Order: sequence, then structure tokens, then C-alpha cells
Amino acid sequence: MWSISNIANWVNEWLGKNFSAAWVTVFEMVIAGILVISLFAVLGLILVIMERKVSAWMQIRLGPNRVGPKGLLQSAADTVKLLVKEAMTPNGADKFLFNLAPYLAIVVSMLLMAPIAFAKDFMLWDLNIGVLYVSAISSVSVISILMAGWASNNKYSLMGAMRSGAQIVSYELSAGLAILSIVVLTGSLNMNDIIRSQADGWWIFKGHFPVWISFIIFLIAITAETNRAPFDLAEAESELTAGFHTEYSGMKFALFFLAEYVNVFIVCAIGATLFLGGWMPFHIGHWEGFNHIMDFIPSSLWFFGKTFFLIFLIMWFRWTFPRLRIDQLLNLEWKYLLPIGMINLLLVTAMAILKWHF
Amino acid sequence: MNEFITLMKPELLLMAMIFILLISKLGVGFNQSNLMKLIQGMLLINFIAGFFMNGEGQLFDNMYHTSSLIVLEKNILNLGMVLISFLFTDWFKKCDHLAEVFVLMLTALLGMFYMISSGNLLMFYLGLEMATIPVAAAATFNLEKKVSSEAAMKMILSSAFSSGIMLFGISLIYGAMGTLDFSEIPALLNGDSLQVMAFIFLFTAFAFKMSVVPFHLWTADVYEGSPIGITAFLSVISKGAIAFVFVSTLYKVFQPFHEIWYNMIMVLSVMTMLVGNLFALRQQNIKRFLAFSSIAQVGFILIGVSSNSIQGATSVIYFVLVYIFSNLAAFGVAGLVSFFTGKENIDDYKNFYKTNPLLSWIFALALFSLSGIPPTAGFFGKLFLLTSGASNGNYAFLIIAALNMMISLFYYLKVVRAMFMDKNENPILPIQINFATKIALFVCGGGIVLAGFFGFVFDYIQALVK
Amino acid sequence: MIANLPNYIFFFLAFIAIFFAIMVITAKNPIHSCLYLVLTMFAIAANYVLLNAQFLAIVQMIVYAGAIMVLFLFTVMLLNLNADSEPVKSNLMKFAGVIVGGTLLLLFTAALRKSIGDAEPVMNSIPMQIPNHSNVGLIQNLGWVLFKDYVFPFEAISILILSAMIGAVVLGKKEKVQLSTND
Repeated sequence: MWSISNIANWVNEWLGKNFSAAWVTVFEMVIAGILVISLFAVLGLILVIMERKVSAWMQIRLGPNRVGPKGLLQSAADTVKLLVKEAMTPNGADKFLFNLAPYLAIVVSMLLMAPIAFAKDFMLWDLNIGVLYVSAISSVSVISILMAGWASNNKYSLMGAMRSGAQIVSYELSAGLAILSIVVLTGSLNMNDIIRSQADGWWIFKGHFPVWISFIIFLIAITAETNRAPFDLAEAESELTAGFHTEYSGMKFALFFLAEYVNVFIVCAIGATLFLGGWMPFHIGHWEGFNHIMDFIPSSLWFFGKTFFLIFLIMWFRWTFPRLRIDQLLNLEWKYLLPIGMINLLLVTAMAILKWHF
Repeated sequence: MNEFITLMKPELLLMAMIFILLISKLGVGFNQSNLMKLIQGMLLINFIAGFFMNGEGQLFDNMYHTSSLIVLEKNILNLGMVLISFLFTDWFKKCDHLAEVFVLMLTALLGMFYMISSGNLLMFYLGLEMATIPVAAAATFNLEKKVSSEAAMKMILSSAFSSGIMLFGISLIYGAMGTLDFSEIPALLNGDSLQVMAFIFLFTAFAFKMSVVPFHLWTADVYEGSPIGITAFLSVISKGAIAFVFVSTLYKVFQPFHEIWYNMIMVLSVMTMLVGNLFALRQQNIKRFLAFSSIAQVGFILIGVSSNSIQGATSVIYFVLVYIFSNLAAFGVAGLVSFFTGKENIDDYKNFYKTNPLLSWIFALALFSLSGIPPTAGFFGKLFLLTSGASNGNYAFLIIAALNMMISLFYYLKVVRAMFMDKNENPILPIQINFATKIALFVCGGGIVLAGFFGFVFDYIQALVK
Repeated sequence: MIANLPNYIFFFLAFIAIFFAIMVITAKNPIHSCLYLVLTMFAIAANYVLLNAQFLAIVQMIVYAGAIMVLFLFTVMLLNLNADSEPVKSNLMKFAGVIVGGTLLLLFTAALRKSIGDAEPVMNSIPMQIPNHSNVGLIQNLGWVLFKDYVFPFEAISILILSAMIGAVVLGKKEKVQLSTND
């Protein structure tokens, strides 16, 4: 059948026939690198236009409609504008850290791509602790934000960075607990194992209400972790100009912007993998015929469909809820989400031991 | 399961108390004095329960072990805890965070119990950390005073530093031997230079915690700044626990290194006694004075540790028991005076006898015992320490120790003279002593007198050590 | 060459870790010190991967690089410490420090040398112990060890953490009293 993993195998075989083993590794690494970078660029373009279109649709207006058919090339034009703009460095800034921060942000996002299964048998690195790897690497992204905020030598930037740091560090706990509930049900940290365990139904259906609670907590936590509204205190434009990237311009700003959108994609992909079965088609228990029909839809389509559905949900939040204050934000996490998450984890554990799930 | 309960009874009781105290904060509505009574009652029950239903054995693959000697050591520490809670009733009642102070102190005590019963260096390290971190937090509970935060800061930094040194030593031991189990280590010690190095690091960390010179620099500031109850806890219970660990655990495990032990301890002990005494001579603040005097006492404890004999171990445990009585009595009186009048200078104690005869007699008795004047138990304690030290035949060492007792006599008697003989226009006004405090003071005084006369105390400890 | 590869990687990582650790203490700017410390943590995490303990490496990253260092950076940035507010040590102190540190290093080298015994270079005499089967450091095995052999310390830690938390909460809630500066 025509699928991404077949193409990958075919490329691998072709390279194997023509080159020695060491060169095959080198070529495959290069190809993977090119693929990740181009996926980055494409995702950036798609997500920006999607955000603008969705917001326009929510607010009953047209949105971008001049560049290209129905304004679809708007984000491409924006990219060109950012590329040709001058990248300024403020005078009192810590030059080295100021310039390093956007690259660090983008590298962290790229590293996060590694353990994600984009389609059946198609992932960069089948890591046995994939889920933990994601939380570990994503925790590093705080450092790039703090770096950028401090190095800009601007009080708005510093304030934004501080808020963002506090927010990410605290909401990481809830996200971690929500992820753990699926890990408890599956008994594995490996992304592939988690997806295979959903072959007879996604966890969101098999796991009853404890998993729903986890899912909701996860959604809230990732919205906060990616600094998006209603948790966008780090770059609250009405209070802090633009938060930690106030002083950035040109390509360096674009890198932050891109990293942010790609992070949204990645956390949604993780959410889709954990709760909605990743590339696993919609299967129901023992309905062999139904499952077989569902298998005809390519796995990559399933994956991207679910991921973009979650991204749409997160955009929906942005245009629905007003922004929280910083104390409300921290109260929500430490007084509500974290205790609920812990009790829920206990429930899930009991459920996994007593086999109450389907 | 049954075995688990009998063996771990002291720890389980402490944990139960910690949780009861935590729950008492959940709006059950105790007022301060009722809560204080609850705490005192629980500690008393805990102390009495320590004498019944004790077992010997080990649990969790030798992570935890206990014997009747260890039970005795724990009981001595429990006794000290009870005395502290009675002696400083007034201060505790005034404290805004009464339950928290006791939770922290009990956690530290729990850590000491773990440390004493540990059968594994990992467990041991954990106990040591548990015995210091909560006390460091409790040291800053005089929230309105800056010296209190300074004391806590100094304590947490110096203890973190010494923990780092100790962890390095432990990792070297693991690297050199591949095990952390106390039952396996002695057989693997072969005098290899890496092992010696590791041992020295481990020992250094201990010297830090016990404030042996030259690692004593934090002691005086911490003692002065902390609330008086915490100071008493630090100087009596913490030190006692570490002395117990020395004689009942470490000395057995590192027995093959006896030669190295002896030389190190001898040098450190001489330095500790000298520096502690000489600095105590010129102190004016009574808390700093007691801090340096307790440093000097550590020097004497080290003499007993150095002897490497049953008698040495016995005399150390006996001395710690006596030391708890005498030092707590001294701290109790100093704490009462400082709580009611805010006066902490030795000069303020002039003519103290005229206004507060009972307190001055107890204080004088405690100071006599600390300096080792014959009818008190302190005399017997020091006598046993010195005779056990003499078994090695190093008489120069003993002569220095005896000279130090002379120096210490001078400054202890200076305080006694100030209380009984010096004239003062406006002495400290008569102090209303709480009933609980009075009981504790009498127990301390009785302990100081009786523990010396009743030989069976020493014999009982000796029987357990064997 | 290939058989010795872990050795070379180890020495490379160790060099990085030590180099950045030295940078931590020599950097003039406290923020730079913190960032160097993050790099040191990463180098150590990479060393864990080399020992096939991926879980430990990841935890090291989450806990140290992710949480503790972020709090460090937070505090340092908020306090706005500058290089010139640092107290300057006298030359005598520096000299004494160098002597003490040098002596310790000498002592260490001597002890290690004597303990290992022969004059061979260190690299050949202590080969890196790479666990043969690949699941030694995996999370399942770690779980077994943690909940079987070391269950007692593992549970005992909870009380330590509880009390540390109580202490922190009491210190953090200072609103009722005011700091007096009479001392």
C-alpha cells in the first residue's frame, strides 16, 4: 500500500544498494534534517494563516484576503518581509545571549520532533522513554525565554520572561501528571507502545472519566505551557508590549515566532498520540469489518487530522476566554489543577490495576 | 508485620506524632496552651513507651537495624526532647508556629533515629540530612529578629557544605568497595589510600556536624541567633545523636582503621578543647558562652571515642546522658532569663541568687557538672572518659585534657561567682516559673546529682554495650 | 578505535563538564554562571546516557536543567546581581585558597595513583564499565530496585520533604511580623 513508511523503506533500500553502510547513515541523517527543517517552515506558514483565518471566522470578519487566492499566501509574504528586515541588537543588551536565545528556542523545538510518530512505522527516533524525553526537552525551552528576556536589558522583556518562566515551570507539573495517567494505563513510556495499546480504541474512549479529566488538564496545561491565550501573560501586549521578545526584530523575531507555533504543533501531536491514538485509525473493540474499513484511510492523515483538530481547539480557546491575572494563573495551577491531577492519577492507577477500562 | 512494628516502634511513634501535629493545624481549634499540653503529653507517652516491647534485629535487607543499645540511645534522646518541651514551655507558648516548630524538631529527631539505626551508608546519609535541614528551618523561627535568619543561613550553608564533603566521601567509598552496606564494608577495608581518603572525608563531615575545631565556626553564631529552644535542641540532642553514631555505628564499621582514627581524633580533640575553652573565657553573651563551652565538651567526648574499647563507648554514652541533664539545665535557666527579661549578658547575672535562689542553685549545679566538680555527675562522666582514654597509655594527651578542665573551671566559676557573690544595684527581678518548667528543672537537677551516685546507670550501659 | 569509543566520549564529556564547571566559578556575571551550570548539568546527563541510564539522564535534565536552574535564574535575575556588587577578596586570601586547593589536588592524585598502583596511564588501567545488556538503566529495572531494595530510604525521604516544605511555608508567610533592624 502507498504509505510514508513504504517510501522511507524504499529510500533506505535504494541507498543501501548504492552506498556503504556508513554513507547510508550520513545520507539518511541529512535527509531527516532537511525534512525536519522543511516541515518547520511549512508548519509555520500553515499555522500562521490558520490562526488568522480561524480568528477571522470566530469574529465574523474576512481575515487576510489580498495576497494569493483567498489570502492563502499572506504568511509567505510576511516571512519574506521578516527576512529582509534588519535584525537589531539593542545597545545595553548582553550581545551573545541576546543572539543565542532564538537559536536555542528553535533547536529545542527541533529536538522535540524526534520521538513523534508521524505515521505508521515512521518516526525519527524510537526512544524507549519517548514521553519523558518530551517533557525533559520542553523544560529547557524556559531557559531560552529567560535568556532572551534578561539579555534584552528591558524591563518589559524581563517581566515577560519571569512570568513565562513561572508559568511553564508550574504547568509542566500538571502536564506531566496528565501524561503519567496514560503511561500508567499503557505501562510503557515508548510512543509506539502507547499507540499500539490503542488498537482496540483510543484511550479517550477506553478510559472513562479519569482519562477525560486527564485530557482536559492536559489541554489546559499545554495551552499555558505554550504561552497562548488565555495564559499569554508572558507577552500580554496590553501590559508588556510584547513580553520577552519586545526587543527582537527581523529573522530573530521570526525564529521565536516559528518556535512558538511549532511548539503548539508538537504539544498537540503529543496530546493526539496519548489520548487520541496518534496514527491509529478509529477502531472499535471487536468490530473487525468496521476497523478494516477505517484502516484504508492512511495513517498519516489520521495523525495530522487529530493534531490539527487539537490545534483548532487551542485557537478556539484563544478567541473565547479573557486573559487571566498572574495570581489567578498560579492559583489555578497550584490550588486546583495539581491536586485534581494527583487524585486523578490515583484513580487511573486503581483503574489500571482493577482493569476497569475496556 | 509484627516484627516491623516492634523494631521500628520509636520511629513509628515519632511519625504518628508528626501527623497528629499536622492535623492539629487543620482548624481543629486548639489554642496554644492546649496544643502545648498535647505535645508535652505525647512526648511523655513516647518516652515511656520507649521502655516497653523492644526487639532486636534488622529490616529491609539490613537498611535498618536495632539492638537494645540502640533502643537505649533513642530513649536518651527522647528524654532530652521531653525535657526541652517542658523547659521552654513559655517560649513555645508564645511562638506563632508552635505545631510547625515541633514538627520540624520531631522530623530532625526521626532523622537521628534513622541515622543511629542505619545499616547502610545511603540510609545513614539520609538520616543525617533529615537531622539538619529541619533544624536549620526551625532556627529562623524568631521571625522578627535578623540574627535568627542569619543563624539559619549560616547553618544551612555550612551543613550543605559538609554534606557535600560527606557525599564525596561516600562516593569514594562506593567506588573503592562497590558496596554501602555496613555489614560488608569492614571486610573490604584494606588500608588502601583511596579508602583512607574517603574515610577522612566522611570524618570531616562529622566533625562539621559535631562542631569539632577547626570546623566549629558556625556554632557560636547559630546558637546565639536561634530561638533558645532550638539552640538547646542543637547543642544537646544533635550532638548527643552524633556522638551515639560515632560509638555505636561508625566505630564498628571502620574498626580496621583504628590507628588513623586515633591520631586524627587525638589532634582534633586537643584543638577542640583548647579553642573551645579559650574562646569561652572571653565571652560575655551567655548563649555564646554556652556554645563555646559545648564545643569544649565535644573535645572531651572525643577522648572517649578515641579509646576504642567497651569502656570508651560506655563512658561516651554515659557522658552524653549527663551532658543532656547539665546542659539542658543551664540552657533552661538562661532561656528563662532571656525570655522574661531579654538579658543575655553574664554581667546581668550579678546578684542573681538574691532574687531567684532556685534558678541560681540549678544553674550553679549545671555549671559544676559541666566543669566536672566532684559530687556532680559531670565529674564521674569526665572521670570515666579520661580513664578510658588512659587505657591507650598516651598520658601527654590526658595531661592536656586535665589542664583544660582547669581552664574550664575558671570560666564556669566566674558565672557562679557573678550569681552568688558580686554586688549589683538592680539585679534581675524574680521570675515566675511555670509548673512544667519547674518539674523539668528539678528532673535535670536530680539527674545531675543522682546519675553520679547510682553506679548501676553506668553498669547498665556497659552491659548493653557488651 | 571503535572499542575505545566510549572512553573517548567519556573523556570529551568529562572535559566539557569540568570546563564549564570552572567557567561557573570564574564568570563575572552571575547569570552567565547559572547558564554555565546548566551546561555542566547537561554534560553530566550525557554521561548518564553513556552508562545506559537514560532515565537518570532525563530526570537530571528535568529536575536540574528544567526546574532548579530556572529557579536559580529567576532569583538571580530578579535580584539583579551585578559583577561589581561582588565582594573582592584580598590577594592573601586568593593565595591561601590556591595553596589549599593545590594541596588537596596533590593529595588526591597521590592517593589515586597509589591506590591504582602501577605507572600505566589512567585510561588503560580503568576501562569504562559499559553495561552489556541494554536494559540495566531502564525505567523498569530502576523501579524494581527502588521499590524492592531501597524502599525504606525511598519512603523515608517523603518525611524529609514534608518537613522542608513546612519550613519553607512558614518562612514564606511573613506577612504578620515586620523585620526589625535594631541589631
